[in-house]
Amino acid sequence: MRAVAEQELIHMVIDWVKENGLNDASRAQVSETTNLLESGILDSFAFVDLVLFIEKCTQKKLDLVDANPEEFTIVKSLCHLALQNGHK
Amino acid sequence: MQTRFRSLVSGFLESVERFPNRTALVVDNESLSYSDLHQCVCRIASAIHENEREAFPYVAVWAHRSQTAYAGVLGAIAAGKGYVPLNPKFPLERTRRMLALSGCTVLIVGKECLPQLPGLLQTVDRPLTVILETPDILPNLLSQNSHHQFIFVEQVRDREGFSLREGATPSSLAYLLFTSGSTGVPKGVPISQGNVWAYVDYICRRYEVNEHDRFSQQFDLTFDLSAHDMFVCWERGGSLHCVPEKSVMAPAKFIRDHQLTMWFSVPSVAGLLMKMHLLSSNCFPSLRYSLFCGEPLPASYAQSWQEAAPNSVVENLYGPTEATIAIAHYRWEAENSFEDCVNDIVPIGQVFEGQQFRVTDSRGESVSFGNPGELCLSGSQVATGYWNDPEKTKKQFVRLPGADDQLWYRTGDLVRQGAKGNLCYLGRTDQQVKIRGYRVELQEIEAVLRRACGTDQVVSVPWPVRNGSAEGVVAFVSGLKALDQRHILAICGDALPDYMVPKKIYLVDELPLNPNQKIDRGKLSNLLEGVA
Repeated sequence: MRAVAEQELIHMVIDWVKENGLNDASRAQVSETTNLLESGILDSFAFVDLVLFIEKCTQKKLDLVDANPEEFTIVKSLCHLALQNGHK
Repeated sequence: MQTRFRSLVSGFLESVERFPNRTALVVDNESLSYSDLHQCVCRIASAIHENEREAFPYVAVWAHRSQTAYAGVLGAIAAGKGYVPLNPKFPLERTRRMLALSGCTVLIVGKECLPQLPGLLQTVDRPLTVILETPDILPNLLSQNSHHQFIFVEQVRDREGFSLREGATPSSLAYLLFTSGSTGVPKGVPISQGNVWAYVDYICRRYEVNEHDRFSQQFDLTFDLSAHDMFVCWERGGSLHCVPEKSVMAPAKFIRDHQLTMWFSVPSVAGLLMKMHLLSSNCFPSLRYSLFCGEPLPASYAQSWQEAAPNSVVENLYGPTEATIAIAHYRWEAENSFEDCVNDIVPIGQVFEGQQFRVTDSRGESVSFGNPGELCLSGSQVATGYWNDPEKTKKQFVRLPGADDQLWYRTGDLVRQGAKGNLCYLGRTDQQVKIRGYRVELQEIEAVLRRACGTDQVVSVPWPVRNGSAEGVVAFVSGLKALDQRHILAICGDALPDYMVPKKIYLVDELPLNPNQKIDRGKLSNLLEGVA
């Protein structure tokens, strides 16, 4: 399977959030710098669904063990982590 | 055997005396010793005592994960008052309503609530005494709110002579908590110091709490489980570690960084950590006790947590707000516990020593051992009624046949006692659901929906339900030609906390009815299964 590039993953995540986000007004504004939890676009359950979606896209388990929450709740950082630290 | 009652502030003061330099509170990356916290508490208590316009038993605390939040709670109790926690995450309308229902005239405000303060004050008619940290506040706030009195804790002089109110009795008020109400109005549950003392005393002895313990503080103050964190910790000189908002969802790193020994959360947190692969073997070696409460605990969560925290005892606690934090426990044992579970849900277990329970039928008669029935509770932890609501009090706080004058709280929880005597949760007798541990009456959501949609044909359904817990609600509306979902959800968002706002609203031709001509919620859930 083709490896997904970071920018491509960011776009996929943004599309997923626009489709599945909770707050109509905020999800329309989602960008790569959006904090998904603080903005209220995702709740904790939806965030886990997003993690599972990312793992499906990258075919890797997302390793958040030592990640700071302020880091992995932002679209760009989350995608970066998914590609850097993930393991099969 | 319960120890003789002492006031909630006495335990804290004893810890101040014994461990003045030990850490009492870690919040906002700042660490406060018992001595530091005591100073803040005295100033707030003194501000309440000197500036209250008319004596009232409660003081409202509108603060969130800040020094003011914790010092405010202790300050209120030290001034001889109960506290009413308010939550800046709740819509302003709900906060205003809770403030009005409580009748409080003193409001302690954390700086994190300042942006919302003008909006709240404009809608409150009766004059309030507003206690703030510093005078460095929003421009024009004072001039535009001249009917309210503003007191700044920073300017309150240290009063050596001021004596904290240790002379409370068991019936003195500890807190007033508002839960979702089936009539559309939140209902207040007044909990006394005697109720909390019975809990704190039992838990401190059961878990051998000591000054080396480092407690998590994960719950918002509007969730009564937060009272466990604060009062159990400070009773024995432990340190309370407030989990920052950004870490609440995935606190694994926080547990390790702070080397916590006592963990307490809703089971959903364990579930989220599991799904995010954050419960690896022995990743929490520092934990001594891991407690879960607020919603059903799936066996898989308990076992995964046990493996992540192998040095910890894992317990499932159970208790409605009316019975003060928790009143039953079940200790997880990997070898035996799976067979005790019903539908893969960990039992509620045994009611605390000294408290009483009965499993009853609809007439209040005890059912035969092993048969399902409603759980009724009585004892020193159980409240005696609702705040200013004799009708609801009469319905839920009852006398049972053959129990003399003893007052029993009908929980509405259906349970069955298993062969080993453990109580197992089976469901509810009414429309109450738990979402992320919060008690939600679906009728309260429906009352807002009816107003927003302009029709009576509305129904809300917990959805999705995984591992015995609801993750949210969705709504169905009928009798309308079209639906402005965004507008309706905005109205809901203005009136309800986020966990009660429907995730989606479906417009249907008609609402399905069951043979009793009641709305068939099961059929609607099946419909959602089809959509998912």
